[in-house]
Amino acid sequence: MTPSAGDETLTRAATLALASVVEPGSGQLLTQVRDYGPVEVWSFLLRTSADSALAERARRYRPAVMQRDMHRHGLRFLVPGDPEWPAGVDDLAWSGPVGDVTGGAPLGLWVAGPGNLRDLTTRSVAMVGSRSSTATGDVVTVDLSAGVAERGVTVVSGGAYGIDAAAHRGALSTDGATIAVMAGGLDEVYPSGNAPLLERVRDEFLLVSENPPNQRPSRVRFLARNRLIAALGQATVVVEAQVRSGARNTVAWAHSLQRQVLAVPGAVTSSQSETPNQLIREGEATLVTCAAHILEALAPLGDPAPRPETPTLPIDGLSPGQKAVHEAFPARSARSVDELAYDARVNVRECMAALTVLEMRGLALPTDDGRWRLVRKPR
Amino acid sequence: MTAVHSVALMGLTGHVVEIEAWVGGGHPRTQLVGLPDAALSESQHRCRAAVSSQKLEWPDQFVTINLTPATLPKAGSHYDLGVAVAVLNTHASRRLPEAALSRTVLLGELGLDGRVRAVRGLLPALLAAVEHGFDQAIVPAVQLGEASLVKPLTIWGVGTLADVIEVLHGRPVLLPAVPRAAAIPSQRTLDLVEVVGQDHAKRVLEVAAAGRHHLFMSGPPGVGKTMLAERLPTILPELTVPEALEVMALRSLADKVVSDRLELRPPYAAPHHSASAPSIVGGGPRLARPGAVSLAHLGILFLDEAPEFPAPVLDALRVPLEKGEIVLSRSEGPVTYPARFQLVMAANPCPCGNAATAGARCTCTPMTVRRYASRISGPVLDRVDLQIRMPAMTRSILARDLPPGETSAVVLQRVQEARERQARRLAATRWRTNGEVTGSYLRRHQPIPDGTEILDEASRRGTLSARGIDKVLKVAWSLADLDGVDVPTPAHVYEALGLRRGEQGARS
Repeated sequence: MTPSAGDETLTRAATLALASVVEPGSGQLLTQVRDYGPVEVWSFLLRTSADSALAERARRYRPAVMQRDMHRHGLRFLVPGDPEWPAGVDDLAWSGPVGDVTGGAPLGLWVAGPGNLRDLTTRSVAMVGSRSSTATGDVVTVDLSAGVAERGVTVVSGGAYGIDAAAHRGALSTDGATIAVMAGGLDEVYPSGNAPLLERVRDEFLLVSENPPNQRPSRVRFLARNRLIAALGQATVVVEAQVRSGARNTVAWAHSLQRQVLAVPGAVTSSQSETPNQLIREGEATLVTCAAHILEALAPLGDPAPRPETPTLPIDGLSPGQKAVHEAFPARSARSVDELAYDARVNVRECMAALTVLEMRGLALPTDDGRWRLVRKPR
Repeated sequence: MTAVHSVALMGLTGHVVEIEAWVGGGHPRTQLVGLPDAALSESQHRCRAAVSSQKLEWPDQFVTINLTPATLPKAGSHYDLGVAVAVLNTHASRRLPEAALSRTVLLGELGLDGRVRAVRGLLPALLAAVEHGFDQAIVPAVQLGEASLVKPLTIWGVGTLADVIEVLHGRPVLLPAVPRAAAIPSQRTLDLVEVVGQDHAKRVLEVAAAGRHHLFMSGPPGVGKTMLAERLPTILPELTVPEALEVMALRSLADKVVSDRLELRPPYAAPHHSASAPSIVGGGPRLARPGAVSLAHLGILFLDEAPEFPAPVLDALRVPLEKGEIVLSRSEGPVTYPARFQLVMAANPCPCGNAATAGARCTCTPMTVRRYASRISGPVLDRVDLQIRMPAMTRSILARDLPPGETSAVVLQRVQEARERQARRLAATRWRTNGEVTGSYLRRHQPIPDGTEILDEASRRGTLSARGIDKVLKVAWSLADLDGVDVPTPAHVYEALGLRRGEQGARS
């Protein structure tokens, strides 16, 4: 059945109304919407005399007020089927539940900013981690984020302090794209300490939320928000997270969505690296240490990260003098600089320089007693 | 009353001291005032005996001898001549010419028989006298040679107290010393050509000389570390005359026998590891004597078996390495001696010396070997740009038909040219040699276009620390300066990387 233009307007209005009153991630209601359509469900909510909180909220809903709030804050409301609707979140329909949140695809999404959510999430990665990150964690996050962003990958995160903020900053630092998914309404950015950063994300790209304006973040909304972060990225990267952390929850959603989970290992002494280390150990995440590793994971049919180059023949490109020094070595025993210089017919200065080049190429090594020897070739 | 002049030394700095005597009233007694130390308080007794022995007369009344400025602490026996002359000048009948007294400094110790004896610190005292406008000096005859190095002064050498009176009356017993027209070029007794083989080590020595880089050599006993260190002064540029005078003045303060030749070769001090801390950094009661670090000023301080030196002594090197001078705290106030030395250290790989030498049996435990290598404190090693591990000479290298090595003169020529190049390039800075320049200055003002990639690669491989990079940069510049090129080439950078070999081992 192809809905007419009038139907579409009605559907959109009903969806907006439902999304405004429903707690995100309420599975049962979502099932009803799928079965009956939003218009039917909404009119039922308005009709029913049942003493339910949801019905009460529905009765108090004023479309004009919503329109005014959205206009005032420059928000758009996306519904499934919109050209801007991100493909990734539809996968949520079959995922979950995780913890207290039953999951399901969002009814619709409020967005603020000039970006096109669908386009921005065709190649995207979620980066999550601790709010109380270490300095190292921040640096690593900025590096990774900048590294993937400059290759056209959108960095999705939650706008929180710590790793989230570093992820957004890294992408912005290279003119890369980034999206922040908020747990509250988009009329106000949260946390306020990140306001300048998040306002920049809004002004240049997008803020996304499943919650209507004037809705404050709550625990359940944070957990529901995590499933959107996992769904909006093709992979989820965990940089630092303690044993109990929201990042762990995002990882669970990513697993539930069958998305790749990547983790940056950390010092075994750092409590902030417990979650990523544990994920790697238990085979739940792939170890990544650089942007190339993440790009490799995102590549649809395997676009392996470039391996460190090894010259086919390590003596290729050596100067004649350097080759002479290399050839002056006996197979096994060590020689002093003087002996090598004499046997290679070069002066000690050239010999010293040549030995440094050979050492840097992994061909020769100094011994403890000040001599040099060849590195045995691995078989 | 006419004052007699002498000099008080605080370190190398001299202050003019006026000595006056007053006779009158009271019992026959002599009182010396003006913060004298023990040696100076006893001066009156020596002077009295000396005066009598010369058939002169000591006043049999109350004699007050005053040394001004009164607040300046005075030490040493060299005031004897001044004290004796001041007292003798109180005889109304035997007044000495005022004009002569006002332009003359008197320096010398008196024996009971009236003989004038040698004193410590004569050279710096005379240099101070020149500075303060005196034009003649009376000094012990035995030190005439040393004194004649100080040019614009008329120097009278005196053997006895009677001679002093004659000189002041303008009836000298001897002609004044002939000022040395020019410094005598240093005689080179040692030469690099005497070191057989060890071309690599000689190259490192040359680089050390060119850039005035501190050097650390490790290797088994008998490999030639000491031989090389002793020959380093032979490939260093000669000192200028003022520099040589400063070096001599320091020697004179240390109570060393000072020759009458102005030695232009940079000094070489090699204190033994059992030497006391004061003998190395300077010290002693009252007038602190300069230690080995100051005797090596503008020259080489060689610490053989460096790990054997007590840790406090090695740590005490940090300040002079940083500041180029050493401050010794005395109750009379701090004394500062210059100590801008080039540090050369040598070490065996372990206490017995045989560790890591193929074929030799080392009797040390692995722990001892590790600890031995780490005895030298990081802050001292951080200032050492060149580290070389010298392997034992093998029969195979000796069997090779080695061409004769270069003489010191040939190497010195290259070193001198390299030094001139550095002086020109660093003219706008407070430094003169690559060894003194800081890494940050080099990175900012003297980029090495062809070197960045090599250094990046080395640090990526983990073989080069941030501090290591600075050392490599400094050494690379010295290599370029030795070759007479304007900017280090990749070959220089590679060689420089190789010359900090051993850093890891020494720091482990």
